[in-house]
Amino acid sequence: MYLEAGKNLSSSRPIKVLLAKPAIDGHDRGIFVLARALRDAGMDVIYAGLLPTPEQVVDIAISEDVDVIGLSLLNGAHMTAFKKVVDLLHEKGIDDIAVVGGGIIPDDDKPLLEKIGITGNYGPGTPLSVIIDHIRKRGEEARRKKEM
Amino acid sequence: MDKSTLVEYIRKGEPRAIARAISLVEEDNDYSYELIREIYPYTGKAHIIGITGPPGVGKSTMIGILSKMLSEHGKKVSILAVDASSPFSGGTLLGNRIRMQEILSKYGIYMRSVANRGFTGGLSRSTWNIVKVLDASGSDYIIIETVGAGQSDIDIVYLADTVIVTLAPGLGDSIQAIKSGMMEIGDIFVINKMDREGSFFALKDIMDNVYEHNGWNPRVVGTNSLKGEGYDKLLEAIDEHRKYSEASGNKKEIRYKEEIRLAISREIEKKVNGAFGELISAEDIARDMRMKIDPSTVARRLFHSSNVAEKEVNF
Repeated sequence: MYLEAGKNLSSSRPIKVLLAKPAIDGHDRGIFVLARALRDAGMDVIYAGLLPTPEQVVDIAISEDVDVIGLSLLNGAHMTAFKKVVDLLHEKGIDDIAVVGGGIIPDDDKPLLEKIGITGNYGPGTPLSVIIDHIRKRGEEARRKKEM
Repeated sequence: MDKSTLVEYIRKGEPRAIARAISLVEEDNDYSYELIREIYPYTGKAHIIGITGPPGVGKSTMIGILSKMLSEHGKKVSILAVDASSPFSGGTLLGNRIRMQEILSKYGIYMRSVANRGFTGGLSRSTWNIVKVLDASGSDYIIIETVGAGQSDIDIVYLADTVIVTLAPGLGDSIQAIKSGMMEIGDIFVINKMDREGSFFALKDIMDNVYEHNGWNPRVVGTNSLKGEGYDKLLEAIDEHRKYSEASGNKKEIRYKEEIRLAISREIEKKVNGAFGELISAEDIARDMRMKIDPSTVARRLFHSSNVAEKEVNF
């Protein structure tokens, strides 16, 4: 894709994404690749840094008014850590931030995560374009809810 | 949430309301204009500190430590960090938060990252209005981190009450220290990373080259963020400058004037962008290009035609 310099300087606001690994997991190479891919797709990307707690993730998401939280874990704690993030959002009555998951997530767990509203749940080898499209779609949904 | 409820929650300092209001302001439309008009009467209390300097000198870490110290003194601090947008995709990686997240969580400090959206000068177009939201939320101090870019990114001088220029050893020689641009706007100069080689020469180069400006003699402070050294002196310098600028008062007037100038140019730009397709047809563009008429001549011809001066840009 050829991108023309200076073409995207409108005042309309891009989709804003928070990328986070909400538990003890130091494997951040993948999330950096994703952060850059989302930036190149024209989004505003915030990375929460290593080892944020679910509480911190939700606080950042609120302060920065993001549209999507992208959670990633490779250590198997997704069922507890991802769920904690969603629970905290519910507790605060927030329904206009979409949650998307990824990492090493067994097929059996995916429907359970979907059920609590965490979509995507992509594993290694997923083409970046698939993830970008999904995040954009969920982001646009969230944005529409914000505007209501 | 309707507008008056939003204003009420902003004034209570409720993070969700502040966050949403800043997003609305970033969209820069009629709604955000109305919002700013409603909160403007509640602004003017905060002391605005601008922190500028090249990338990698430790601005974010410095802001983390400063906001922690101010919070411990019982002050309410808000932080706004501006980062650069990609000139190609328009996307941004907002990375300033990582260096201060722990402090933010611990002290309940509100921080927001925004993209500059191609706006040159070190800030984003909406920074001025975002600061008003933070001001109305009851902040005692608003710390703004500019895009760490370069010598000419000096818009912060029109926005901040106190401008801190942050440098690190090894960035240049004494010639760099007397160049125009960023080196002229500092009320306080900080040489960070004083643990590094050559730090005292850097400190001396800057000390030798600052001079009194409007009755203020810029302070030069050396800090080491790893050990937290020098920060008491920095806080002292900020406090002295705050007292000085409150007493002199003319900075607020300069800012008000600059904001009007910006608002006018924004109105013109909006009108021009909106009406561009009507001003000149694709055929005319092709013809002018074929005839090798230079773009400025085309622009002047358009601007002086009655169409633009009276109808499209109507003032």
